[in-house]
Amino acid sequence: MNVMLSFSLVAALALQIPHAPLSAGSEMLDPTREARVQELGKQLRCAVCQGVSIADSPASMARAQLDRVRELVAEGKSDEEIREYFVARYGEWVLLEPPAHGVNLLVWVMPGLLLLGGLFLIVNYVRSAGPRPAAEGGSAAQAPAGSDPYLDAVRAELEKE
Amino acid sequence: MSHSDFGYGLVLAGLAFAAFGAVVGLTSGLMRREAGAVWARRAVYGFFACMIGANLTMIHALVTHDFSVKYVAQVGSRATPVLYTVVSLWSALEGSILFWGAIMASYVLAFTLVHRKEHPRYMSLAMGTMLSVGVFFAFLIAGPANPFGTLPNPPADGPGPNALLQNHALMIIHPPMLYMGYVGMVVPFGVAVAGLLRGEIGEAWMTPLRRWTMVAWTFLSVGIILGAWWAYAVLGWGGYWAWDPVENASFLPWLTATAFMHSTMVLERKRMLKLWTLSLALVTFWLTIVGTFMTRSGIFNSVHSFTQSDIGPTFLVFIGMLAVFSIALLAIRGPVLEAEGRIQSLFSRDTSILLNNLLMVAITFTVFIGTVFPLISEAVQHRRVSVGEPYFNKMAVPPGLAVLFLMGVGPMLPWGTPDRQRVVRQFLLPGGAALVTVVACLLFGLTGFLPLLTFACAAFAGVITLRELFLPAATRMREKQENVVTAVFQSAAKARRRFGGYIVHLGIIVIFVAVAASQSYVTHVKGTVTKDKPLSIGGYTLRFKGLSEGQEPHRRFITANLEVTTPSGKVEPLAPRMNYYERSTDPIGTPAVRSVAYEDLYVSLLAFSPENGGQATFNTWIFPMVGWIWWSIPMLVLGSLIALWPSRRRAVATSTSSAPPLSEEAAPAAQKGAA
Amino acid sequence: MKRWLPLALVALFCAALLAVFKVGFGKDPHEVPFMLKGQAAPAFNVRSLQSGERATLAQKKGHPLVINFWASWCGPCRMEHPVLEWGYRNFSSQVEFMGVIFDDTEENARQALAAQGGSSLPQYLDPNSTMAVDYGTSGVPETYFIDSDGIIRDKFVGPIDPDSLRKHIAALQQPAAAAEATK
Repeated sequence: MNVMLSFSLVAALALQIPHAPLSAGSEMLDPTREARVQELGKQLRCAVCQGVSIADSPASMARAQLDRVRELVAEGKSDEEIREYFVARYGEWVLLEPPAHGVNLLVWVMPGLLLLGGLFLIVNYVRSAGPRPAAEGGSAAQAPAGSDPYLDAVRAELEKE
Repeated sequence: MSHSDFGYGLVLAGLAFAAFGAVVGLTSGLMRREAGAVWARRAVYGFFACMIGANLTMIHALVTHDFSVKYVAQVGSRATPVLYTVVSLWSALEGSILFWGAIMASYVLAFTLVHRKEHPRYMSLAMGTMLSVGVFFAFLIAGPANPFGTLPNPPADGPGPNALLQNHALMIIHPPMLYMGYVGMVVPFGVAVAGLLRGEIGEAWMTPLRRWTMVAWTFLSVGIILGAWWAYAVLGWGGYWAWDPVENASFLPWLTATAFMHSTMVLERKRMLKLWTLSLALVTFWLTIVGTFMTRSGIFNSVHSFTQSDIGPTFLVFIGMLAVFSIALLAIRGPVLEAEGRIQSLFSRDTSILLNNLLMVAITFTVFIGTVFPLISEAVQHRRVSVGEPYFNKMAVPPGLAVLFLMGVGPMLPWGTPDRQRVVRQFLLPGGAALVTVVACLLFGLTGFLPLLTFACAAFAGVITLRELFLPAATRMREKQENVVTAVFQSAAKARRRFGGYIVHLGIIVIFVAVAASQSYVTHVKGTVTKDKPLSIGGYTLRFKGLSEGQEPHRRFITANLEVTTPSGKVEPLAPRMNYYERSTDPIGTPAVRSVAYEDLYVSLLAFSPENGGQATFNTWIFPMVGWIWWSIPMLVLGSLIALWPSRRRAVATSTSSAPPLSEEAAPAAQKGAA
Repeated sequence: MKRWLPLALVALFCAALLAVFKVGFGKDPHEVPFMLKGQAAPAFNVRSLQSGERATLAQKKGHPLVINFWASWCGPCRMEHPVLEWGYRNFSSQVEFMGVIFDDTEENARQALAAQGGSSLPQYLDPNSTMAVDYGTSGVPETYFIDSDGIIRDKFVGPIDPDSLRKHIAALQQPAAAAEATK
């Protein structure tokens, strides 16, 4: 009874509602190869989405692209070949991280340079200042060099244990 | 009078008030005349009234479906429920800029009222600066982004707001929260500029600068996390952060604001890093404007994209002017801001904070360059590239973990030169906790370098933070024989910034742990269910009960009714669906999520058909601990509230106060400074 | 001397940034790069919806070819259907037409065609959308224009209008260099 009801419901709505993308994509491969598919999927960009990978996106185009990756993995293609396949059609744009050559190096190198440069500056700054005796000029209410008195008291308590 | 005329009139009046107030405030402040403050205040009141009035007019036009107003014709629809009609005020570009104006006016008013008894010359400059920003936005609303245009032939109905914006209740609260964070940064900007224009930044002004930043920071944090929650609950792929340009745009000022709040601690104690701290305040505001530009210019490929319009170039000019003004101000006033103290040791809390600042700025730069690089690539080498999750995972996550580690190291080290012995002793417990955590994880079968490192750092920082939070209370219990509750309450009350700050730290640690767990230990199954064939994932079993149909005014949907049997034996319904809107080619699914404390079962409907007596295909995931990301919000808010809670004993800020008087006030004052 | 250096660097950085932003205006960030333009069309092997026969690229060699990718769940595709019918009526003597169904089941495709009153174009199934991805599509509807040498001249993204269809078909008849000049 329930089965009939839901079937007729489904049949009825199949006529009313614009059809959903009803293909759910191809079957997953065995775990090792499927892991490769998902890994590659995370590196490739969905052609219709805004910066989402084909492994993540629920869009129909993304499923189609992921299915293609699955086919290519099943055919025995290497990761590099599969990436090249997509780059041949969509350009370097389809890779979710820019390949490290030419101007692209900017984005790979500059953050590291900034970090190292800043580190150098900090170490220099602290070293060049040099340690000074405890009483510093400039602020009368400044706590003595060391932690604040309240916490000192707390820590002193701890030491007694 | 029509809605359009009335609303536009208010906007023009607001522009006039802002311009007047900006001129009066800045000139009287620079000329060191006190009389201007009163007039600047009145201009603030006028600006506020006009902006709120314009917004209310627009809301009224939307709710009464007055399609002669351009913006209503753009986003209004008779089919949309009333709540979403009000929400559509900020669903498209022009309305959202109008909303921005209202929030900014509210913030400036709040600042003016809270500080109305403060030094007039400072206040004039601060109000003048904020109203100058108000001039820009009022100009934007009156010109390029005008929502109040009149349509000569109004349509009978409109298209309604974007389909995605009607899918979930979170869409109602996420933008306002984000705006209140973003726009709120105009207040610290005003205060910082006032200080720089005056050529000094004393105690009296560092406090409001810090506190208003914290207010905006809290809203920004909540707004960002709500945005992530919305993405998770609505978009159907189980992710909550895609490194989308607009997401990144909201993250950038958050990072610099966090750096700012830490460097003010060094500024307070050592009277150094003045120029750096103020630069951070200016950069934070600048980044909110750049972020708004990135969101609205239409030159970035994003989920939040708008079409390109005149608004982009106008913003660009403003960004340029802001940059020139800020750099000039810093260059001219820089020499005045001499450092009075020194950092004594590489192994002190001061240095930890410097390192925190460096890491925050490095992450800011990385996220920024990653977001902007596609534009650079197209401009320079005429080639389109993408910078997505793999890049940010490689480049932004490691410094993030370093920050997590510093969250432990910093509080552990003292402010000046450390006593090596003591530091080593302090290190033993948290270090041990980190080790135990890693071993425990391995024993439970959890592997992976990155998540284990995150858990170790989190345990390390967590133990230290908890110790710093409750050690004073424990001491009070022993010394003053107080009970637990009183001890904790009193220790919090006496050191609000410190206590609140550490609660916030705990919230951030929770987020790190939740993100690591929910990214690294995901279970994913994609399968088809029929009446006879259930689907198993983890300890859950999903049984298919049938499809049903539904209709709402703005959409139709198909629901796949499932029954899930949990590992503990409970049986509950789950109903993921597929929504069909008039304007979308792809239907938009609503996933079904079942949350318990330690994991989420996430089911997304992919496909369905009447074959085999009815069947449906799903993507299902188990995300461990993902709920903790959103549940950290109360911790962040609680911590901020405690830190911001005003105390009666604080010395009232006067024009000549520099250091707090050395007296019995010194101890509590020093406590507060210890945060 | 050293005091102004950091601020100068910051100023330089800002200037460069603003220049990059300015250049970004007028470009469409959503446009998907299309690398196959001017390249050889990839081979395909698809089954006809109407006759059940197979069609391959090799079979079509020597004739200009117009391939239209569409789906039953795509609203704009339904909008452009009459345009393609018109194109087939007027130009099928000059070029070959093909409709390829993207990410859809046979059942849905048949129903959709029935609802539109059938199709004069030969329609083909593309299971798992292999051909669509092979051709570098970025959604539906898209219409590809391939000349008699099997080179992809251009593609039209979105629902096509009669004018553009006519222009692109005309360009197909001419050798590649001349077609570029008339653009």
